[in-house]
Amino acid sequence: MNDRETNIKDWEEQLKDFYIKQEDLNRLIMDYLVNEGFKEAAEKFQEESGVESGVDLSTLDNRILIREAINSGRIEDSINLVNQLHPELLDSDRYLYFHLQQLHLIELIRDGKIEEALRFAQNKIAEAGESANPDILNELERTLALLAFEKPENSPFSDLLEQTHRQKIASELNAAILRIEHKQNQNPRLQNLLKCLLWAQSELDKRNINYVKMTNLATASFDEPK
Amino acid sequence: MNESGEMKTFDRLKHLYPNVFEPLPLCWSSTEKNNSIGLSNGNLRVHYKGVGKSHNDAASVRTNCPIPASCGLYYFEVKIVSKGRDGYMGIGLTASSASNFKMNRLPGWDKQSYGYHGDDGNSFCSSGNGQPYGPTFTTGDVIGCGVNLVDNTCFYTKNGHHLGIAFRDLPPRLYPTVGLQTPGEIVDANFGQKPFEFDIEDMIKELRASTKAAIFSFPLPEEQGDWTVIMQKLVSSYLVHHGYSATAEKFAEITGQRFSENINSIKTRQKILKLVQMGRIGQAIELTNKSFSGLLDSNQNLLFMLKCRQFVEMVNGSDMDGMNHPSVIQSTKNNNDQNNEEDYNSENYSIYEDVDIADQQQHQSFKFKRINDYIENHYHDSNSEDVDMDDTNQNNIQTTITNCPGDSLDEMDVDVSPLNKSTIKSGIERMLELGRELLQMSLRLEKKYQNTNDDLIAQNRKMMEEAFSLLAYSNPWASPVGKQLSPSKREPICIQLNSAILESINYPVRPPLENCLAHVRQLMNEMSKNSLGSCAFINLDSIIN
Repeated sequence: MNDRETNIKDWEEQLKDFYIKQEDLNRLIMDYLVNEGFKEAAEKFQEESGVESGVDLSTLDNRILIREAINSGRIEDSINLVNQLHPELLDSDRYLYFHLQQLHLIELIRDGKIEEALRFAQNKIAEAGESANPDILNELERTLALLAFEKPENSPFSDLLEQTHRQKIASELNAAILRIEHKQNQNPRLQNLLKCLLWAQSELDKRNINYVKMTNLATASFDEPK
Repeated sequence: MNESGEMKTFDRLKHLYPNVFEPLPLCWSSTEKNNSIGLSNGNLRVHYKGVGKSHNDAASVRTNCPIPASCGLYYFEVKIVSKGRDGYMGIGLTASSASNFKMNRLPGWDKQSYGYHGDDGNSFCSSGNGQPYGPTFTTGDVIGCGVNLVDNTCFYTKNGHHLGIAFRDLPPRLYPTVGLQTPGEIVDANFGQKPFEFDIEDMIKELRASTKAAIFSFPLPEEQGDWTVIMQKLVSSYLVHHGYSATAEKFAEITGQRFSENINSIKTRQKILKLVQMGRIGQAIELTNKSFSGLLDSNQNLLFMLKCRQFVEMVNGSDMDGMNHPSVIQSTKNNNDQNNEEDYNSENYSIYEDVDIADQQQHQSFKFKRINDYIENHYHDSNSEDVDMDDTNQNNIQTTITNCPGDSLDEMDVDVSPLNKSTIKSGIERMLELGRELLQMSLRLEKKYQNTNDDLIAQNRKMMEEAFSLLAYSNPWASPVGKQLSPSKREPICIQLNSAILESINYPVRPPLENCLAHVRQLMNEMSKNSLGSCAFINLDSIIN
């Protein structure tokens, strides 16, 4: 074993000493499920873990409809739903609006509606692309690049076609709705915990302190990134 | 100081410095001081008793330990009781790296020392030349000194007013210090024993808020992939780990986060864990053996722990065949009063409340010895003979237990209706059988781990003895060992059994989410060890709860 491996082993031993109350984490999970609008999962979790959700789960219904629309590729439906629920939201958050239009464009490409996709890009999104935001421009270029491939799912930009991309936009929209409804930081606590972890690591990095860095949070592993 | 005063001090310090586990500076050191310094009032009052002719007669004292970085913002106050002849007083800090603390100088004059002086109001930063800083101070004034361990600066206050930053780029591990120089000078320190003149809590609140804001706005880096997916994975693996099978399935349906463990395996684990949570350990062991054969055979320590718990649950009345039986001990007790039916199933132990615990303790060792002897003798007998109890032995049990004089156990029934008699016997019989099994197991395990893992042996022995000692009480719930009967004690066992099952089918013993949380705690320790004061302002509980 090299030094780093030894350090990791020692560190992992030390982690075992922290007793973690399951109830605390159950509440963290419940907060996440409610926050993300996973109503049915929240209901099951309430049954299985005994943790109360603390909210009337039926208030999640609108957000669930919107998420379902996005997850199944019905982007125009989702935009209509948002406009009914919070007419001002997409007007005030242009970046979010762009992401929804981009997603609609992706759906057109997925369905092989090339001409319609091009028309939509030129008519609707080009104006957004003109705005000075280089992120928007870059993302638009990546999306349109999909058209250059006969099989876009094999292109370097195939990540845009994955289900996780839909989920990412759905979460972004969900967070925006929560913000407008609560007018405060409504990130799930799980996300705050991860941010706390990353912040602490960066504070230690800044001072060049030797410690064992977690490099993959999804698996909580310490391996050197490849 | 009286007890409630001490309690208040403790609460105040805990409130100001919640993340500190190292000792805090709380009084002046009786050794790290010049001979011209006299201490009194619990080493909080300092007076000058030297000749005070020149600068060479200066004298100082520092606290017995340095300021821990995990304070984040540290603060103490000094009240000038008397300025003495000339009021040459310095209040400040000295660093521990100054190999010898210069006790015959005022703080600020030497390297790695910092002070604010009363006669001229100047600040002295490791130099004999002062800089104009604040007003002079004299008899009756209260001077405060605050150290910000995040940006390593120091400020002073006078009578509750902030005077601005005095020093920057301070070294770590600083000791509060005062220096006096002329006869009659007396000062009193307050390290948090009393409320401060200056509102330090307000500053701490601000620092907490800004640290929280820094954390909440910390960007999620892209190189680990999409954070929506990372969070979904953490949630999914957590749900699967703890056997929340229906939630996990629903969650997978919505997010497409698949899990690799077979759903039936998860459901079986869920059942086993549920049984443990309900205290039905016997059934949990049975199901584990059926579904994960060989697991407990190859993990005898875990099995031993489960069986000890089973014993405890038998006392509790929880480890039964699914019916709602009362505790073995309770049922025998209740036979005295057949009319008292509701006591059978309810958790109403009020009839025992008048039992004198001291009286029980008096008999505890005696009774425990009797019971233990019985089990042990029987175990030794049964080495050659069969393990089953014969009629004689059954009578012995009755005698052993009922013949304890002078306590409530002796009220235990000797003349019961036939129906009840058989249930009671089988209950006690089951318990003693398990007791013998535990003794056998413990001897076997002790042999196995002799000289290689003494901690484990001691741990196992303690666990078994604690379980057995429950038998010594007529009301075990109110006994000194009654805590182990609490259902909350099932959780650690649940966690260990679950981890062992998961390990046996090649899954991690802890879900990644729990490791993330443990990692954050460990990072905070690391920050504190390395003098990163910002760790003081993280309230992990407020982040996750």
